[in-house]
Amino acid sequence: MAVTPELTTNPNPSRPAILYAAAAVVSLVGLADAIYLTVEHLSGRSVKCTIVSGCSEVLSSQYATVGGVSLALVGAIAYFVVFSLATLAAFGYKGSGKLLTFVVALMFVTSLWLVYLQAFVIKAFCQFCLLSALVTFALTGLVVAILLRERTR
Amino acid sequence: MKRVLPFLIIAAVFGIALVTAWSLKRSGAETAPVRSETPGVSPNARNPSTSASAPVAIPAAADAGADPPHAHGPVNAPVTIEEFGDFQCPPCSLLHPVLKTMEAEFGSRLRVIFREFPLVPTHEHALVAARAAEAAGMQGKFWEMHDLLFTNQNSWKDAFDVRPIFEEYARKIGLNLARYRQDVSSETVQYRIFLDGKRARSLGVKGTPTVFMNGREVPFESLAPEKLRTLISAEIGKRGQ
Repeated sequence: MAVTPELTTNPNPSRPAILYAAAAVVSLVGLADAIYLTVEHLSGRSVKCTIVSGCSEVLSSQYATVGGVSLALVGAIAYFVVFSLATLAAFGYKGSGKLLTFVVALMFVTSLWLVYLQAFVIKAFCQFCLLSALVTFALTGLVVAILLRERTR
Repeated sequence: MKRVLPFLIIAAVFGIALVTAWSLKRSGAETAPVRSETPGVSPNARNPSTSASAPVAIPAAADAGADPPHAHGPVNAPVTIEEFGDFQCPPCSLLHPVLKTMEAEFGSRLRVIFREFPLVPTHEHALVAARAAEAAGMQGKFWEMHDLLFTNQNSWKDAFDVRPIFEEYARKIGLNLARYRQDVSSETVQYRIFLDGKRARSLGVKGTPTVFMNGREVPFESLAPEKLRTLISAEIGKRGQ
């Protein structure tokens, strides 16, 4: 079987590959969460919070859409992109790791902003949005771990 | 194979994501399991469909709700729409102009009933709003308050204290303010909301707006003006009017 040039560029892929695989798995949680929110948003139903009580306030606020597009849909696309890049990186595809770092950094900043909005502007929390932020923070942790690992090599 | 494998995984996840979204949408659009398993049909549902995708009928044993209900249109209208709504629910405020349009278009052939279903504690002002509407109803001006609450939802839903805002609405529609203040916290108003909520629960209503047409639930996606218009026309056609 022919080995692609991309696959030969990573001589010791075990540790980063595991971290990339972990990032792919974690992003699936975010993807599931974002899909649920997208469907509920597009269906126009009120999302019911079971742990905290601010889902309706957050999801019906002006910050729930960006230019008429549901933020949950943007999140779903972002998580799918992260999953794809992490999977490719786990298989040693060159370039996908750097792109993953960039996308996750962007998501991290966005998540910080969204948590700030919930806490200080809307003054209500949505558990599904908090889960999404938690997933992004976990992804950030994994990406930082990958970067540190690569720096020490 | 190793070169293609990640793409296969990505494609598989993409497919699963699409299927999940589709099934979530379907499960949300269809009625709750409680209702779909409940036997019996409403006396109003003269021709209930039995297909799997058909809306579920109101069970005969359902609670009656507040009596008399807040209704627009003649009792013998060929089509009766019963809405379970929450004044603080954004989709309900979007449905409000749609129902107004339908009422204008179908006139005496359509009867619209509004039932209180405040989603507390999700919507912190929903109960106060329901009480304000019911108190207005005690002076024969339920629909005037109902309209004001929905059309101005954005201006009060984030307010800290909505009571002065609702009192302003009461003044605007010409209510006797002293009586309004008394009625808002009266047992009669509280009991009406309780009875509507009891009916909602007996029907398995879980979200708002939930709409029943001639005793059968209308899927949420059919509440768009053009779809609702078609459904009402079909219902009128069935009754040969």
